[in-house]
Amino acid sequence: MHKGFKTTLYHIILWIVALIFFAPVFWIILSAFKTKDQILSIPPKWFFTPTLANFVDLFTRPNVGTYIRNSLLISAIAVLIALVVSFLAAYAFSRFKLKSTSLIMFFLLSIRMVPAAASVIPVFLMYVALGWKDTYPGMTLFYAMFSIPFSVWILKGFVDGVSERFDETGLVNGGSRLHVLFDVVLPQVRPGLVAAFIFNMVFVWNEYMFNYIIGGKTTTTVPVALVTWMLNQGGVDWTFMASLTVVFMIPPILAVYFFQKYLLIGMTFGTVRGEI
Amino acid sequence: MSDIRIEKLRKEYGQTVAVNDVTITFPSGSVTCLLGPSGCGKTTLLRMIAGLEDVTSGEIYFGDQKVTDLAPSKRNIGMVFQYPVVYRGITVYENIELPLLQEKLSDQERRKRVMDVVETLGLQSSINKDITKLDNGTRQKVAVARTVARQPQIILFDEPITNVDVASKDQLKQALKDLTRMLKQTIVYVTHDQTEAMTLADQIALMKDGVVVQRDAPRSLYNQPNDVFGGWFLGNPGMNFFDLSAKTNGHGTEIQTGLFSRPLMIEGLEKDSNIKLGIRPEQVKVSGKKNDRMVQGTILRKSIVVGGQYLVTIKSCDQTFKAKVEPETGYALKDEVWFEIPLKDIIIFGPDGHRLDVKTSLA
Repeated sequence: MHKGFKTTLYHIILWIVALIFFAPVFWIILSAFKTKDQILSIPPKWFFTPTLANFVDLFTRPNVGTYIRNSLLISAIAVLIALVVSFLAAYAFSRFKLKSTSLIMFFLLSIRMVPAAASVIPVFLMYVALGWKDTYPGMTLFYAMFSIPFSVWILKGFVDGVSERFDETGLVNGGSRLHVLFDVVLPQVRPGLVAAFIFNMVFVWNEYMFNYIIGGKTTTTVPVALVTWMLNQGGVDWTFMASLTVVFMIPPILAVYFFQKYLLIGMTFGTVRGEI
Repeated sequence: MSDIRIEKLRKEYGQTVAVNDVTITFPSGSVTCLLGPSGCGKTTLLRMIAGLEDVTSGEIYFGDQKVTDLAPSKRNIGMVFQYPVVYRGITVYENIELPLLQEKLSDQERRKRVMDVVETLGLQSSINKDITKLDNGTRQKVAVARTVARQPQIILFDEPITNVDVASKDQLKQALKDLTRMLKQTIVYVTHDQTEAMTLADQIALMKDGVVVQRDAPRSLYNQPNDVFGGWFLGNPGMNFFDLSAKTNGHGTEIQTGLFSRPLMIEGLEKDSNIKLGIRPEQVKVSGKKNDRMVQGTILRKSIVVGGQYLVTIKSCDQTFKAKVEPETGYALKDEVWFEIPLKDIIIFGPDGHRLDVKTSLA
């Protein structure tokens, strides 16, 4: 087959796949600017006068601001805690080479392999017993715990990419281990930290099940609010769902747009780095 | 400033002994090169001095202070590694200044220290450049400058020129030479490159299999190696060695060999021993004309060595050896030549490979 034709065909297939994946997103974005009748009309209305009434309605509803704030605070604080712990753990795994490092790393990642449904009941019982259900510290710590394994994996790759000669230079130049950790190694794994932050932020931002089970009225985040409110008027409230979904999508899209370079580096676990 | 005293220092990795009960003193204010082939334990020894490796046994003293168990950061040392360690994202100036920020110095004093080393190492034109834009040679200069600016009592260099491109190598070597002469600090410099060691060192400690086999001034080490290893390792190429048998008769102990015009007499040798005779290629005299001390040989091979000299392989009787000759001699392969091995330059080693203190003459 001619090379040019193959490339064209390849691009056409890519566009078709991309459009299929993007179609529901496109539909929800369009719906956010339609009236309820326009959303439900058959055949679908492709040409209409956009309205911001759905967004005005959204922000006049009680608690919507709280849900968005909950999502932002819980995910940001949880991921920041996870990053601090993960960076220290990744450094320790990278530098103090215990014989059991591989095994511990495997166990750490295996936490992420456990289906959420299998752990939700024990976590619920534990949270009730500890009195942590529907508390900010409880939700934040849970998400931090859930973000740590993957962050350790990403960051260990990055710390491995920083030659130990940097540490040694710092140490012989009179620096303490903490100086080496935060002034020498940390600046060099910044792309990894950004990548880990975004990966985990998106995960926590989208998480539904645990917030539904161990959260409550105080700590409800947007995904739970979306499902709860969507059906609470005896049918699907399409205008609410579409407008809240669009607002909900904005932070991750902005994060991915601005930090996509770091995400690509993060996906290679920092392995493209050289010796020094 | 203080000297470095190493007492019976040992490092084992499982069954492997990397450093084998080494006892040595690195004098205060001088440059000592640890020279030896790869894997001889020189870097391990240096890293133990720096505190980057735990010792298996033995002690390390800086002056009167025992530092064996002291953390690297408490030893007041500086170290330059094989790979240029520089911090990305900051300028050359900031790289040099970084460790000084931890010390209680005024801004003026800090700037002065940075600028002094910048000037010494000729980094003025690079001072505000991003470190990633520089070649390896300049990066290594920055690493050296960062170490020197701290003014530690001891500076350790771990093969700092090895990973620098050829073009920058000589320049960096010269810069290091100027710097070491100026600093007058206690410097230990690890290298496997004898030229580097000969250029920079006040004394060389030659290592083999985890042991310091000889420590001497460069010229003494070259001319008077304590054992066969020193003769072989130093020089390009190393010494020629001849396995010979000495027999004792009524006239004394003598060696019958075709290498000399007459039998070689050795005074101070045990009866009937096997010895190794060593001579450096540049000390063998080669001529197209015969005299009474010369022996005939044939040129087998010929190649150019550094400095424009020719390295020729000569065969005489059943012995083959190397000699250096000037290009104008114009020898060709299979040419018949005359050679002399001067008695003042030969070294006699015993069967165990150690140099023997004997006198030689021709019968």
